Amino acid sequence: MKFKQMKPKYILIPSVILLLVVLLFMAKDLFFTSEPDTKNPYEYDLTKFKEIDPDMVCYEEVMQLKPKTDYLYGISTDANYNLYVAGSGNILIYDVSGDLINTINVNDNAYCITVSETGQIYMGMADHVEIWNTDGEQLQSWNSMGEAAIFTSIAVNGNSVYVADAGNKVVYHYNQDGELQNKIGEKDTENGKLGFIIPSPYFDLLIGRDDELWIVNPGIHQFESYRSNGEMISSWKRTSMQLDGFSGCCNPSHIAMLSDGSFVTSEKGIERVKIHEPTGEFKCVVATPDQFIAGTTDLDLAVDSKDRIYVSDPKKGVVKVYDKVDGK
Amino acid sequence: MAADKSNKKIARRDFINNTFRFSLVVGLGGLGGILSKNTLGTEMVWQLDASKCVQCGRCATDCVLTPSAVKLIHVYDMCGYCDLCGGYFRPEAKNRSTAAENQLCPTSAIERVFIEEPFFEYHIDKDLCIGCAKCMKGCGSFGNGSLQIQVNHDLCVNCNECSIARVCPSDAYVRVPANDPYLLKGFKGDGKKI
Repeated sequence: MKFKQMKPKYILIPSVILLLVVLLFMAKDLFFTSEPDTKNPYEYDLTKFKEIDPDMVCYEEVMQLKPKTDYLYGISTDANYNLYVAGSGNILIYDVSGDLINTINVNDNAYCITVSETGQIYMGMADHVEIWNTDGEQLQSWNSMGEAAIFTSIAVNGNSVYVADAGNKVVYHYNQDGELQNKIGEKDTENGKLGFIIPSPYFDLLIGRDDELWIVNPGIHQFESYRSNGEMISSWKRTSMQLDGFSGCCNPSHIAMLSDGSFVTSEKGIERVKIHEPTGEFKCVVATPDQFIAGTTDLDLAVDSKDRIYVSDPKKGVVKVYDKVDGK
Repeated sequence: MAADKSNKKIARRDFINNTFRFSLVVGLGGLGGILSKNTLGTEMVWQLDASKCVQCGRCATDCVLTPSAVKLIHVYDMCGYCDLCGGYFRPEAKNRSTAAENQLCPTSAIERVFIEEPFFEYHIDKDLCIGCAKCMKGCGSFGNGSLQIQVNHDLCVNCNECSIARVCPSDAYVRVPANDPYLLKGFKGDGKKI
């Protein structure tokens, strides 16, 4: 039996081609480096939740104040359109045009601040209340509510002073002499009262148009209104990742009220400021997430009697002033 | 003169003896120091500073172990026991059921347990956790940040050059003493009261 012998070129040519291919692959590995794949297959992406239709925006930024202080803890306005900024160990007072008109040095940081109709400054100093006048004199300092207390919001209504204590998860009702009248919103599971769910220290309150007390129950994204004796009047809640509601553990983090009873809200997680109707329906957007550094929290709010909205931005160290967009 | 010479000789001998004694003491002291350092000294290990983490996903993909030695730790003291937990639910979750489509964790390593209205507790199955930090980002964005990833030193083989540290974009990997190897962040360390 005789095999037909292959011609050398039929072996040689494929071998050379194969060798060239191998050399090419080796050269690629040796001399060319590809960019490492930096795409994160496990990315947690909130981008689409931060995108807001410009038609939804009903306010525009008209001014920005940059208080000279290390941190912005809280803001409030008075009847004369002055803005009060609680900073690190001081209170800075600005007039309507944004000029600094007074600085009051206080003993500690005020975590929350409000101004009464008589012009007295009420401050929540973590565990107790202090009252100062605009000349920088301390008028009163009330008793501490204990080590666990973290005062996050304060409101004055006539003879009543209401203070939200995020540490003890309750609202205190004091009289003007600092005497505790009653506690509001205490947990009472036997009677089906969940109490305030406050996973982190965001617990805000305000006085409504009919002198009712509005308190945010942030753990369940609920607004609750109360009488001064602690009796609940009404509530509304909106839990949603979308623009029409609130998400996360503790939102809205701060609230304020416009003259028509609408609520101005700010959030942590998705940094934005919105307006909700008095009944809770979403109305429009004041500040979009792209106006804040990602991760900004503590966006305290204030409203003046012209319905201008003030937003403190501690990460940028500024207070932004917003006014209504004409026609919206 | 002779007496002086004799004194000088004794002094020289004393000097040599003292030199030997001194050398012996120094040598033994040094040896003891080295031995005690080796015996009692602190071994250093790799750890992740969660406060620097940017959730790039490299902890899950670049460890020499599969699955990664980086695991989630739940700091229960910080947890708000939230119903709508940002670390458990996907942002686009349709409802708050435990259906896989609602869960943020790609391996379902977090178990949600009802405690009492409206509180839920979240347990971590470390065998399923791959250290992707997705839940940590979700919890940090909307919650208190009680979900934190750490190098689990029951699993870590403590490479001389940690392959995750080499690619970590935020330089979050640091060497820490082996007898205190975890860097959990909490309320107390943040300067603020909560």
